[in-house]
Amino acid sequence: MKEEACRVITNTIIQGRYYLMKLESSHISENSKPGNFVMVAVSGSNDPLLKRPFGIFKTDPPYFYIYYEVVGKGSELLASKMTGDLVMVVGPLGNTFPEYENENILLVGGGRGIAPLYFAIEQYSGSNNLSLIYGARSKDDLLFTEEIGKFALKEKAFYTDDGSGFTKGQVTTDIKEIIERNGINITFSCGPDKMFESLNSEIGSLGISNFVSMEAFMGCGFGICYSCVVKGSDGKYKKVCSDGPVFRMEEIKWQI
Amino acid sequence: MADLTADLGFIKLKNPVIPASGTFGYGGEFLQFFDLDLLGAFVMKGVYSEERGGNEPPRIWETPSGLLNSIGLAGPGAEGLRGIIKEVASKTSTPIIVNVCGGNDEEYLEVARVLDVMEEVAMLELNISCPNVRSGGSCPAQSPSDTKKVVRLLKENTKKPLIVKLSPNVSDVPSVARAAEEAGADAISVVNTFLGLALDVKNRKPVFKNFFAGLSGPAIKPLALKIVWEVAEAVNIPVIGIGGIMTGRDVLEFILAGATAIQTGTVNIIEPTGSVRIINETLELMDELKIDNLEEIRGGLNI
Ligand SMILES: Cc1cc2nc3c(=O)[nH]c(=O)nc-3n(C[C@H](O)[C@H](O)[C@H](O)COP(=O)(O)OP(=O)(O)OC[C@H]3O[C@@H](n4cnc5c(N)ncnc54)[C@H](O)[C@@H]3O)c2cc1C
Ligand SMILES: Cc1cc2nc3c(=O)[nH]c(=O)nc-3n(C[C@H](O)[C@H](O)[C@H](O)COP(=O)(O)O)c2cc1C
Ligand code: FES
Repeated sequence: MKEEACRVITNTIIQGRYYLMKLESSHISENSKPGNFVMVAVSGSNDPLLKRPFGIFKTDPPYFYIYYEVVGKGSELLASKMTGDLVMVVGPLGNTFPEYENENILLVGGGRGIAPLYFAIEQYSGSNNLSLIYGARSKDDLLFTEEIGKFALKEKAFYTDDGSGFTKGQVTTDIKEIIERNGINITFSCGPDKMFESLNSEIGSLGISNFVSMEAFMGCGFGICYSCVVKGSDGKYKKVCSDGPVFRMEEIKWQI
Repeated sequence: MADLTADLGFIKLKNPVIPASGTFGYGGEFLQFFDLDLLGAFVMKGVYSEERGGNEPPRIWETPSGLLNSIGLAGPGAEGLRGIIKEVASKTSTPIIVNVCGGNDEEYLEVARVLDVMEEVAMLELNISCPNVRSGGSCPAQSPSDTKKVVRLLKENTKKPLIVKLSPNVSDVPSVARAAEEAGADAISVVNTFLGLALDVKNRKPVFKNFFAGLSGPAIKPLALKIVWEVAEAVNIPVIGIGGIMTGRDVLEFILAGATAIQTGTVNIIEPTGSVRIINETLELMDELKIDNLEEIRGGLNI
């Protein structure tokens, strides 16, 4: 990992509050794998003080992409960056989804949690049989369905909470059937904690390998400030930035 | 080119920049960013005698140009730290300072004794201000007599140079500093974080489970600079200035206020190579202002 000034190549609205930013860095683009993230300085000043974490969406050396939702001050500042601007970035950070060959893997994405999963589709669809379940609040929050359609996936299922555009439901609605139908023995998921909680109760005891990529409020992103912890099932805290962000589902102490 | 040496009396540092406790991990985490030999010294994260998990999240909260933290001193315990110290020491010749914590005087001594016999440890920094650990809220830094007691206990039973790190959360920091000096402290480092409060209006709750949290970062710099100036006026031992340092200019301000060296805190968290940038900026600014060495301006305000 390195800290460097990266040039913004493009920063475009995908839809509504969702943006895709293309940045230049040989180091990050050549060394990132699905699950890795970067810490991005959203302002050149001391306010806001902290860098913000974003998952790597895809790479195309010497470029890499982040896909982000504008939710607050930091992401709003990021949205105002223009082509040619330099932003300080630390990365690539964290661990990655494990690499497999010839396995039946199910990807489960909730909302903006699609970022590392898109990267996984791009990197692993050639070497594994991938299926995808992707859910969001409404059709305006469910993005990249067309791009995803270009990859060879065994099965894909899209859901919206309000039923707009796609099947009304949650990512867990048909998950057991999808796992059964596709002989799934591994899942990779990314989304809000609530989604992980319901995934855990639906599929946590099926005897398959489940990997979750988590979010937490971060100070440093590389393991030194101890601010990003989640409770492990052994009762000990784990640092999302450096022990994760990818954990085995059973390593985490879920609330329900 | 200007001379950056910072002479603490008991040790000469190649430059005055020392990453502060809790903001630099155990040092080794930064090897992927730069050579630790570039630093004047560095302070490891605070350690108690036993392993600790730390506080329930949330542990940080951003404020305008500042950071509130309630980490709660998570760590491996003094014995567990020994291996970590040896590992880092094998990769750098920069002096290692360990931040000693304790729930009472006996624990401070227990931790200090474990570290005192390690040749890899250059100095101990006694953390008598503990903003994030709730134990009735009583810390030695709250009173000159408690400070004197614990500093004397450590000085009588350990050999390493002892830096005493003071809290800004008392009404009269200079009198605590004098008490530490009288008890034999070799240097004072000041300030630790300022206690602050973050509230969640929607849920009508404090953000942190421990209620108060410690404020650091550029937001506290003027407050810290004032205290450093007051303490440097009050004692004859070296003062290490801490609080919101982000640039080479900030370093020279603290030296001008009377500090012999400085510690960088929050900047290491948000910019992993920040301390190296600050060293370079200090050198450039000294050259620009035609300052040959730090002693030339230390405490040298034109007033
Ligand atoms: C590993 C990782 C990968 C991520 N990847 C992506 C991604 O690919 N795309 C994406 O859009 N987002 C991603 N995120 C989330 C992203 O980092 C946040 O959305 C972003 O930091 C928000 O910054 P902001 O300044 O815009 O919002 P802020 O203004 O910081 O806050 C947004 C919300 O969080 C609350 N909040 C702020 N600070 C704290 C705190 N310390 N504790 C509790 N609540 C707080 C605020 O009240 C507000 O409701 C990722 C996060 C992690 C940890
Ligand atoms: C996340 C965090 C953890 C800290 N942990 C410790 C600690 O273990 N021991 C200690 O003496 N000070 C600790 N501090 C205080 C810093 O060492 C420093 O005194 C303070 O942050 C002020 O400097 P700054 O404004 O440059 O950050 C911590 C500060 C932060 C932000
Ligand atoms: S964000 Fe600092 S330890 Fe994880």
